[in-house]
Amino acid sequence: MTSRDSRSPHGVGQRVPLIDGPSKVTGTAVYTDDIRLPGTLVGKILRSPHAHAKIVSIDTSAAESMPGVRAVVTGSRDLRTFGVLPISKDEVALAVDKVIYVGDCVAGVAADDEETALAACEAIRVEYEPLPIVGKADDALKECPPEQKLHPDTRHPSNLQKQVDQNFGDVDAAFAGADHVAKGNFRFIGVTHAFTEPHCVIAHFEPTGRLTVWSATQVPHYLHRDLAAVMDLPMHRIRVIRPMVGGAFGGKSDPFPHEMITALLSRRTGRPVKIRFDREEVFLTNHGRHPTKTSIGVACDGDGKLLGLDLDALIDGGAWGSFGVVTTYYNGVLSVGPYRFDNFRYRGRRVYTNKPPCGAMRGHGAVNSRFAFEVLIDELAEKCGVDAAEFRLRNLLPSNTTTLNGFRITSNGTEECIRRVVEASDWKNKRGKLPYGRGIGIACGFYISGSALRINWNKVPQSTAHLKIDMDGGVTVHCMAAEIGQGSDTMLAQCVAEVLGLPIEWIRVFSRDSDLDPIDLGSYSSRVTFMAGNAARRAAEVIRGKLCAAAARLTGYDAEGFDTRDGHVVWLPNPAIRVPYLDALLEAIAGKGALIAKGCYHDAPPMGGSHKGAAAGLSPTYSFQSYVTETEVDPETGFVKPVKVWAAHDCGKALNPLAVEMQIEGCLHMGLGQALMESFGYNRATVGNPSFLDYKIPGPLEMPDVEVHIVESDDPEGPFGAKEAGEGPLLPILPSLANAVRDAVGITMYELPMTPDRVLKEIEKKERASAVREASEAANPKETVR
Amino acid sequence: MAETQPLRGPFRVPSAADRPPKQVVRLNVNGHAREVAVRPSDVLLDTLRDDLGLTGTTRGCDMGTCGCCTVHVDGRPVLSCLTLTLLAEGAEIRTIEDVAPAGTDLHPVQRAFAQHGGSQCGFCTPGFIMTSVALLARRPDPSDEEIRREISGNMCRCTGYNKIVESVRVAAAELRGEEVASVASPGDLDVPRGAYDKPAGAYRSNGHGGGKSR
Amino acid sequence: MILAPFTLHRPESLAEALSLAAKLPDGGYDWIGGGTDLLQNYKNRLNAKDHVIALDRVPEMRGISAERIGAGERLAVISESAVVRERWPGLAEAITHVASPLIRNSGTLGGNLLVETRCYYFNQTPFWRGTKGSCMKAESDECLVVPQKEICYAAYSGDLAPILGVLSATLELASPAGTREVRIDEFYAGDGIRKNVKRADEIIVGVKVPAEASTLRAGYRKLRHRDALDYPEMGCAAALRLDPSGRIELLRAATTAVDVVPHFLDFSELMRGQEPDTAFAEVAAAMEERAQPKKNTSMPVGYRKKMVRVYLGRLLDDLRAGRTEGRIPAA
Repeated sequence: MTSRDSRSPHGVGQRVPLIDGPSKVTGTAVYTDDIRLPGTLVGKILRSPHAHAKIVSIDTSAAESMPGVRAVVTGSRDLRTFGVLPISKDEVALAVDKVIYVGDCVAGVAADDEETALAACEAIRVEYEPLPIVGKADDALKECPPEQKLHPDTRHPSNLQKQVDQNFGDVDAAFAGADHVAKGNFRFIGVTHAFTEPHCVIAHFEPTGRLTVWSATQVPHYLHRDLAAVMDLPMHRIRVIRPMVGGAFGGKSDPFPHEMITALLSRRTGRPVKIRFDREEVFLTNHGRHPTKTSIGVACDGDGKLLGLDLDALIDGGAWGSFGVVTTYYNGVLSVGPYRFDNFRYRGRRVYTNKPPCGAMRGHGAVNSRFAFEVLIDELAEKCGVDAAEFRLRNLLPSNTTTLNGFRITSNGTEECIRRVVEASDWKNKRGKLPYGRGIGIACGFYISGSALRINWNKVPQSTAHLKIDMDGGVTVHCMAAEIGQGSDTMLAQCVAEVLGLPIEWIRVFSRDSDLDPIDLGSYSSRVTFMAGNAARRAAEVIRGKLCAAAARLTGYDAEGFDTRDGHVVWLPNPAIRVPYLDALLEAIAGKGALIAKGCYHDAPPMGGSHKGAAAGLSPTYSFQSYVTETEVDPETGFVKPVKVWAAHDCGKALNPLAVEMQIEGCLHMGLGQALMESFGYNRATVGNPSFLDYKIPGPLEMPDVEVHIVESDDPEGPFGAKEAGEGPLLPILPSLANAVRDAVGITMYELPMTPDRVLKEIEKKERASAVREASEAANPKETVR
Repeated sequence: MAETQPLRGPFRVPSAADRPPKQVVRLNVNGHAREVAVRPSDVLLDTLRDDLGLTGTTRGCDMGTCGCCTVHVDGRPVLSCLTLTLLAEGAEIRTIEDVAPAGTDLHPVQRAFAQHGGSQCGFCTPGFIMTSVALLARRPDPSDEEIRREISGNMCRCTGYNKIVESVRVAAAELRGEEVASVASPGDLDVPRGAYDKPAGAYRSNGHGGGKSR
Repeated sequence: MILAPFTLHRPESLAEALSLAAKLPDGGYDWIGGGTDLLQNYKNRLNAKDHVIALDRVPEMRGISAERIGAGERLAVISESAVVRERWPGLAEAITHVASPLIRNSGTLGGNLLVETRCYYFNQTPFWRGTKGSCMKAESDECLVVPQKEICYAAYSGDLAPILGVLSATLELASPAGTREVRIDEFYAGDGIRKNVKRADEIIVGVKVPAEASTLRAGYRKLRHRDALDYPEMGCAAALRLDPSGRIELLRAATTAVDVVPHFLDFSELMRGQEPDTAFAEVAAAMEERAQPKKNTSMPVGYRKKMVRVYLGRLLDDLRAGRTEGRIPAA
């Protein structure tokens, strides 16, 4: 009937605008702060001005007696600790006995208005006894008495939280026998998500004894679990609602103290309480990318075959665990692709320091090591005299293989990614051939598409979708996959539209209410398209079966021959035999009621090795990328100005090419920020630049031209062949830019961000070195060849 | 060595009694006169959101950097977080809620943002739209460079801006009366309504029938 | 965020504004133009006053002509003005460097010239300042940049004083005592707290630009991370006129954000008749030498200082060649 393959005009492969677009562009989208419940109190948090201090006493009496103050809560040992990972539930709703970072929550206040709540916070007298501050990651490794540990109960005698040691093959022998070795010590300062919507939460402990919490979260299920723990309530007495979320990028993927505090205040007052962060509080809460020191060695033989990778990451975790154990693994294991090598050694250490906690941020755990690896690959390629793109092509993992640490690789489009960007960018005529101050660089990426194993060890499917169709014909999809602006609602609708052959406006997605919508674990680790997409697809296939059966009953043709397409149920052997969708629906409903189905994504097939930590980084499939970046570097000022990026990403199958482009371009912008200017700085353990003016995010005038190349490797297990597009595309932009800078002016950047002063310093260092060389050559003219 | 917090400095929040009283001001918002009681220190963003319920204007940084709170004052896009409500008296204030024509139609700028990837999480979108609408009223055919300059006071963390620039470009073309290609738009497939009252068995007797029964 | 509270006054004339101020206690009020700078500081509870006098309805502060720009005119309006673009294109372009288009729609010329000096330790929230014990420009009596109690090192960070200075513009100041005129290049004095010679009860009513200015090639260049939003890490302006033989006839230079006050130097007498290449190098070096940035902005001090020479050198080359930055679209 049409030339497209998809059953629906908005099905797989179609450019479909986000279905919530109209509400967003009209200002009618409802974010948490837009919700006004009658009688809502304003909540505020008193935060610690100390990075590390004992709390000697807290006197809330003056605050509590202020007119308009309805409740004051402080920390208590009776409140359970919490945290997103079951192995590191080290967070408290409110500080108990001591504070461990500037911004730590000390007390919560609920009052009639904001001024009163603020004044009450100031009226709380807290007596502190300062403790030595653990500010640097290196210091955190030192053995110390328990009282100087941020978390005295951890098993290491220092502030080390987690150490990972992995060793595959024989790295020392490989390096000893290698023709070329490149080594580097890289330094990465932290960066933060900087979503535009500040954290906001409303809690209402209702007279029925149930607690309803509206929160700007990307993990409503984990919030639900931890609220149950902290509030000491069975989960069924808690309802979590996720309104529209104004960006998250990992920054809303932990259950947070302020969510617990709001619930505690509501329980105390019996009224709805809202806490909305100021921008500074968002910075204090952080959970961004970890500051990291990465020491790395890479070895290859004379033909440019990679032999081994030796990696060490010292990761500054800040005050809490958050996703840190995972981060510690990811800094190593996400370097095992897209290249094949037989020897790999990794030591990762994450430490606690008296700084705002770090956590998961877009590209979680992979970004910094990837940068170091890809920059050194260019150095190796140069040493072997092999073109940087060709070097990468020679070392690729094939499809359908297993990595040295047991990751199952299925679909893999890296080679096509490289070939596409090399050709589109005219790489061969540019690399090494552009005038001084202009350069071009390449890099690849590799990322998980969801974690194969659950965070919590239970048998709940990773994602479940419910479908309902009543006689109006509209399809209701329920699934708690958190729409945070990435377009997961649209993705779910498209999967269903594709299966049922319906236009997308017949599909409505409900993904926000834990009472109504079945569990999906949340929007993190790039899992939603793969897992929730599969769940929705499977549910829709059940419904399709019912519609086909109904069409068979109506027409007398066999049900197996029917398929749903373009608003009809069509008999494929003779497409003239067709039943309008609504007719088939009525027949299906007759005598039975509304059509209902569910589908789930439970587990990836068994996979992985048996070594310690073998499960970390296992994913049902992986995404691959390759970018070429062309840049200008001003040798007099050090300014790096990327001009154009050719970005190829293997997402398996682009369910929605428009949405894939949106993710790639957004990733690229965020990665450029870390590469060029973003810096989560500290001033003696206080966040140094907690504002959008001082935390520098590139603006529209800093953004290069981007040409997206979508590569489709057709994943065997992804929904319609799809895999992730939300995080992996961040990885290659940083090293491809650094490699372009190297091509432009001959310097290697071992530290991010590449601010103009740092770049200029490197250029001057190089010029001094070559001046010295020239001087010594001039002094010894016999050796001079001109 | 114990010390009490706060460390130093008169950071006192004044008590309610110390604050000047509210005064009633008449604002012209979206073409309607609205009376509202505000304090002299209230900014327009708070008045719009908290007193007038116009929550389409969002609060991102509250310090003039993110542009989420952009509204029009006498036709110019300004930051409502840095505009005193009392000083907006007498001006024409226009918010995102007044951009779309009546009904469910979208303004071309809104349509373009929705269709061309100019909006992801949507939190900054109203601000971008206010800025863009004002730009196109003044400059019907801006270059990409000009669009970038004009939106540089609005922050977006999702899109990377290029699709925002494209959205503004597409909207500009539509506003100039040019033909604009639409991304798969809603409703371009008419699902047959079917025959709710069609008797059962109609398919067997109206020409489709005669299939082998099983 | 809740602003520090105040009583707002909105006079309808200059006389009314001045007499209002005369009735209020010394140091008990602030003037507000566009408010984009002042209100941020009020949100951070920085030196807020009990009274704020709005100047947006003072007719004497309006108007753009070939001789004068009202200090109450919005920056965007000035930059778009045909008169300004024709007579002082360098000023029109310099304005596009200020903050962002949204801020320029509210911010006024007078407000920009009086923009509060800036410092890492000052431009922070009350909570943040509390963790550091605050500084002498806020609640304490000690500088946290250069520990001592005499001088506040907050940097003057306005974008427009340099360009107006090299155009030899003059400020019209009005107070209950009368009016006076002060050359911009003599206006800024003191340190990060004292800032300039304006008395608290004075208002900048307008900026007068001499006729000669339209015969000069003048421009402004700015060091910053991002093209928009950021305050200058260093900014420099220059005005240039060559004689018919291509030698220096007039050359003035200015810098901002590299000291507590902007620097202005008129090199005309010193350089008159010189070859531009030599003159430019000397001017750039001289301005670099005068720069004394402190470690209270985002970029390192040495780098900001070094960039004076690079940026000013490039600016002078551009002026000689008649190049602009192309930030203003063709009409």
